[in-house]
Amino acid sequence: MSFDADVIIVGGGLSGLSAGITAVMEGLNVILLERGEYSGAKNVSGGRMYIHALKMLIPDALERAPLERPITKETFEIFCDKNRKITFSFEEKDKKNSFSVLRSKFDRWLASEAENLGLLISYSTLVLNAYREGEGITLETNRGTLKAPLIIDASGVTSIVFRLLGLRKFTPDKWMLGVKEIIKTDVNLPENEGEVRTIVGAIKGVKGGGFVYTNKDTLSVGMAVTFDSLPKSEFPAKDLVEAFRERIGIEGEILEYSAHAIPYYGFKNLPPLYDKNLIAVGDSAGFLINDGFTIRGMDLAIGSGMIAGLAAKKIVESRNFSNTEVYYEMLKDSFVLKHLELAYNRFELINSPLTLSTYPEILCNVLSDMFTVEENRNTLINDFIYRLKEKGIPLSQTVRDLWKAIK
Amino acid sequence: MVPLLKRLGLNTYNVDKKPHIEVNTDICINCKDKPCTVSCPAGTYEALPDGRIAVHYERCLECGGALVICPFGAIKFRFPEGGISYRYG
Ligand SMILES: Cc1cc2nc3c(=O)[nH]c(=O)nc-3n(C[C@H](O)[C@H](O)[C@H](O)COP(=O)(O)OP(=O)(O)OC[C@H]3O[C@@H](n4cnc5c(N)ncnc54)[C@H](O)[C@@H]3O)c2cc1C
Ligand code: SF4
Repeated sequence: MSFDADVIIVGGGLSGLSAGITAVMEGLNVILLERGEYSGAKNVSGGRMYIHALKMLIPDALERAPLERPITKETFEIFCDKNRKITFSFEEKDKKNSFSVLRSKFDRWLASEAENLGLLISYSTLVLNAYREGEGITLETNRGTLKAPLIIDASGVTSIVFRLLGLRKFTPDKWMLGVKEIIKTDVNLPENEGEVRTIVGAIKGVKGGGFVYTNKDTLSVGMAVTFDSLPKSEFPAKDLVEAFRERIGIEGEILEYSAHAIPYYGFKNLPPLYDKNLIAVGDSAGFLINDGFTIRGMDLAIGSGMIAGLAAKKIVESRNFSNTEVYYEMLKDSFVLKHLELAYNRFELINSPLTLSTYPEILCNVLSDMFTVEENRNTLINDFIYRLKEKGIPLSQTVRDLWKAIK
Repeated sequence: MVPLLKRLGLNTYNVDKKPHIEVNTDICINCKDKPCTVSCPAGTYEALPDGRIAVHYERCLECGGALVICPFGAIKFRFPEGGISYRYG
């Protein structure tokens, strides 16, 4: 049986392009299929990109990539109810560890880098079906049929090839909906400063939170909430981001309204990452960290893509296309699986219903008591224990949860 | 609150001639809560007075949510050939 390439990559987002760049640099014959008219046309992120993986992929990316602003300030806002919220900020000037980005600009740039290196990208090419045939996998697209002995599924959360081969089961508790608006604004900050705001509890009923990222001359404002909590939300999904924007008091002209699903598996619930002739990268593999402080998918997408490119070289060289476990072995040694594992405690914690509503309420009550002077006054710790008891939460559980949060 | 249709109107769509979403409305007629009508960010599913669902597939933001929002498996979804192109993303 003749194949069209050594490797076919499905999806030209961050993970697919990183896999493509790496595989081409390793000398493989690669085709990448992207359903959008350009890379990034279909892609949405918050988005704050940690750039450690990008710098490994393209060492001088900081000078050339269309990044928006370095994130130098983090603000957390936790709403207890309409009138009370806890806010804290952390500032670190000259920090260049993460940047705000806009995906249609960024992915398009990365695709042009990949094409300059010799990666063949076929745009407006939608994979519709996949099946095993001979020694490889055949892909049916709107532009014809292609076959390869190795497929890298980089199609994002909907994981098209794994899904068509029966290797994915999606449920509403394992996916989040991300909704977002781009708001035109005058950003009163020097060029080398940018802010991320993470907001919890502004909209009742939903499991998740909101974000505001400062771009060059716009704001990215949005929410990420689990699909299973949407029917319990005080607002339907179509009004979520607007209601959130009004609550936090951001005004301005809307330039774009977008939405995308986000994987929400956690390290211990990851779906199959590889199969015969097939490996998954980025969102398609469920590589996303949501630990209550940040959403991190983009650096994991780039990191896993690069590993997939290197693994592809080993697999092609060995001519053993069943041995895709090579990829998993390499992942285990990388920051991708290590960071996912490290974040699992906090993932479990924010998955508990206590964390997003009961604990903030208790904290607000204690702080409110602290700042209210009356004749009868309690010590802080007694007040805290009393407030916990009021909610029926044993102190031992709170200590355990606190431990999870910092472990 | 800026109305949904105005927000969707900001996007560039290249709508396919054939719907990329199909709903089995015979199942919907027995579905009380109709979670799809509140879970779709594009307002794609509209409850009709006769208990069925109208599908405005041309509004779709391609978030992928259609693959999980119906507990009865009444929605058949694939990505469109054309569809949305974001300028910011
Ligand atoms: C609202 C929101 C906020 C987020 N915030 C952050 C953040 O602040 N920081 C962060 O690091 N991450 C964030 N993420 C997560 C991040 O966006 C993802 O983890 C990242 O985009 C994953 O990259 P990927 O390349 O794996 O998938 P994608 O970016 O989804 O790329 C998949 C590609 O495959 C293509 N494709 C899909 N199906 C087919 C098909 N059938 N045929 C051909 N092509 C196909 C798509 O067009 C797309 O280009 C956020 C996500 C959302 C939605
Ligand atoms: S599509 Fe599913 S959730 Fe929506 S009304 Fe029909 S049966 Fe109910």
